[in-house]
Amino acid sequence: MKRCLTLLLVVCAVFGSVNELQAQIKDKIWFDGQARSYFARDAIDKNNTEDTVSAKNTSNGYNLLDLNTHVNPIKDIEIFAQLRIRNSFGSFFGSGTEINVRQLRAKGTINDKIRFSVGDLFLKQSRFTLYNYDEELSGYENDMLKPYRDIIHYENFYTENRWRLQGIQTDFSFKFDRFIRTLAFDFFVTRPRGSSAISGTTYSSDLLLSGGSMVSEINKNITLSGNYVSLFEVASSGTQNISVRNPVYDMALLHHFGNEKHHFEQKLETGFSQRHWLHSELVNEIADSISNETKGMFFELENKYSKKDSTLSLTLGYRYVDPNFRSAGAQTRRLNFAAGNGNTIYPLYTNMSMTRPTSVFDLVSDDRIYNQDLSSNLMVFNPIYSNALPYGDATPNRSGVYLKARLNNKSKVFLGKINAGFFKEVIGQGTAEKRSFGLVKAAIKLNIHRWLNWKKELSFSASSESELTNRGGDTISSINLFSHQVNASLNVELAKKFFIQASYKQFNANGNEFLTERDNYGDITYFTSTQVNQKDHMLSIGMLYKIRENVYANLQYNWWGMTFTDQPYSDYKYNRLLFILSVAL
Amino acid sequence: MNLKTKLILFLGLVCFLYTCTKEDFEGPSIDNLYGNFEITEPLTLTNDNPSFASNEQVGFHCALNKPVEWKIAIQGLTTNATREIIGFSNLIDSNTVVWNGGPTQVPFFSEEACSIELTFENEIDTLRDTITIASAKTYENGIWFEDFEDGLPSDGLVYYNTDGGGMTFSVANDDALLGSSYFKMGGRVNWDWALGSLDIPLNIANVSQASDDLYINIGMLSDLDDVHTGQFINILISEETDTPFNDNLDNNASDLFESSMEVYKMKVPIDWNGWQLKSFRYSDFEPRDPNNPDIVFDMNPNNIRAIRIACQACPSSSGNPICPENFGKDVRTDIDHIIFTANSALLDQ
Repeated sequence: MKRCLTLLLVVCAVFGSVNELQAQIKDKIWFDGQARSYFARDAIDKNNTEDTVSAKNTSNGYNLLDLNTHVNPIKDIEIFAQLRIRNSFGSFFGSGTEINVRQLRAKGTINDKIRFSVGDLFLKQSRFTLYNYDEELSGYENDMLKPYRDIIHYENFYTENRWRLQGIQTDFSFKFDRFIRTLAFDFFVTRPRGSSAISGTTYSSDLLLSGGSMVSEINKNITLSGNYVSLFEVASSGTQNISVRNPVYDMALLHHFGNEKHHFEQKLETGFSQRHWLHSELVNEIADSISNETKGMFFELENKYSKKDSTLSLTLGYRYVDPNFRSAGAQTRRLNFAAGNGNTIYPLYTNMSMTRPTSVFDLVSDDRIYNQDLSSNLMVFNPIYSNALPYGDATPNRSGVYLKARLNNKSKVFLGKINAGFFKEVIGQGTAEKRSFGLVKAAIKLNIHRWLNWKKELSFSASSESELTNRGGDTISSINLFSHQVNASLNVELAKKFFIQASYKQFNANGNEFLTERDNYGDITYFTSTQVNQKDHMLSIGMLYKIRENVYANLQYNWWGMTFTDQPYSDYKYNRLLFILSVAL
Repeated sequence: MNLKTKLILFLGLVCFLYTCTKEDFEGPSIDNLYGNFEITEPLTLTNDNPSFASNEQVGFHCALNKPVEWKIAIQGLTTNATREIIGFSNLIDSNTVVWNGGPTQVPFFSEEACSIELTFENEIDTLRDTITIASAKTYENGIWFEDFEDGLPSDGLVYYNTDGGGMTFSVANDDALLGSSYFKMGGRVNWDWALGSLDIPLNIANVSQASDDLYINIGMLSDLDDVHTGQFINILISEETDTPFNDNLDNNASDLFESSMEVYKMKVPIDWNGWQLKSFRYSDFEPRDPNNPDIVFDMNPNNIRAIRIACQACPSSSGNPICPENFGKDVRTDIDHIIFTANSALLDQ
């Protein structure tokens, strides 16, 4: 009996130790991530007779696993690595299989006071210093196209309007018992681009982005913040003696007050930027000189009213952005319309092998046309998709008022959003006449199942986005461009978590504009006159099995195409069958 | 309002007004770009009777109301030599838009009358003028120069396949690019690639230009008709500094082009009719034996010791029928005026 008792104690001790060890390992290393299976079959519409050269249909797909490993060697340190294993369909035994380290970061806290991160960082400051604005026509997207949009954002590291950069960051804060309540600081230094070979003997310079933020809660109602960001090249790291310098300064004062039912916010934000190119005389020991210097400021006054039960929010503001305001961190665009950045799906079409113009479907589905790199110059944009604010709120040469509203009832049967603005250029482009821009975006969602007290979802959503650009003056320089996008979608939950979905998206653009061409220093060199009269469409029907949030299987069929009137392009129509299985681990 | 507040507001206002842009508009005028085209100042020439041999130039001046693509075409009325100067601007400035007497491609201009024509893209306006060349531009001022006017260079070495038919590896006087003599290189070796070569020693140790700024210009003549479609010239340049140019007196070729030496190559297909002047940047030459670990390919123009111009063609006979369509055709890759120039190609000077 005594022997049996001893044996039992030993077994308990051993099992107890193993469990404790496992628990310790689990505390130190844990995993999450994302897995995705993707298959798309694209086909030329059978009624299309103008393209007998391209493949009638193509298919591609892949399986991928992004395994996130979190290692906590000690309590205040975490090492994070994201390992991607990607296998394209049709490849076997290792060929076509890629294994990459997609993200790597170490972060921690020093003495429970100062936080730091080293490696891949996701950074954001104010909307005028460092901000990754949403891409065009994405603000009021319907649920059916969300899988596409999720992939674009995930593959391009678009998270909460942050730019993914590599470097080091630290932040810390103080609390006070008199004069001010809190004071918080955040600093970072990153390298958006490393030195690389341009030719056999010439190398580009390192491009660095550094900055800092300060936020202070002066009292219960007033918050003061300041941001500084600077994009610059280190001339000595390459063989070119010309390097860009672009510091931006920003300051904001936020006043908020309210009562039990209502909340008011008033925000005054202003700042300025400088940009020039430094010519370093590295060899001849001549004094450095600068060229192409520009200075510009911005100013914004915003008033926001919201009900505390979240049923109404109303924002009214005025914004002025100088024509020479340049902020690489806030004016870099997600969509890159530069020449050579073509579509992935059927990049050429017709028997003449013409370059297929980008359509709304490409904006929705093609993650390769999006940009992850900060640009020191204003990037090319397509005015039909976004002419009023192509660089977001930081778009230079704009002055105007804007209105944003959000409305829903308490049971959330009805949700509505309105975004409107009227802007005017501060100075003209190519003529003394100034463009004026009108912008109206509205969206509604009807949760019919809530109204009928059904457990299964039945919802309908619709949105409309219109932009109007006008410029008077003589017949040569006058402009009149109108673009309009309409979206409608229906979600029907047939069985528990199983949805049938349908959506229709149409985009029209009609009128004329002048496309701006700039040199390497961002100065305008030419205006290309362009006439537009086109119509995009995208009809989708499919089914969604939503196992839980971020775990779903989606099968859908898309009919999409573009028609042109009086333009040197041929119409086109394509179809796509798409399957996505997405699992957040 | 106390004084401090007033001061802050005043400074804020000053900053605001200072940073506001005061220009009329950004960029070039759209009215000018897309409005009616006008010539605001007519075409004028700075020199009607240039002596290019004395390094004189002809400058062109014309002012327009908007930037356009313009083209100045100069044609020799005797030689039919041509030169085109193109640009995009609203001002043709006689300080920068100049002609120094060279053609765009051979033939060269001689002492002759020339027509000048200024045209504008998408516009019907054409402005015309004439000049008379008092003395033609000379091409004897390169870093190194060989024109074959005095026969073969005294220390040059010629090698060719003596089994071939109609081999012409010698100086000829019937159809020179410039002057009266040129080096005729050709013949028929249907069964093999190599026909022959000309090796010339070089010494340009005093050159200060880097390989990016050194140009090798050679006049090359293909067949006048029925071009052999597989013929080419291989230009080899040796930077071997330890071996004498003609170390082995028995082989009729220089000994500076061995596989163990620092030799650079450029292959030039010869597939046109008549003479053309070709220019090559020295840095565009490739190492001939890049996989030899014992050779340091550091490309230094000071170390250039010899040049080989080798005539080669794709075999066509039944024993080695790589390009049988050329069977029986004579290869012709004649050369004239080998000129090394600094900073730019010969015709761009």
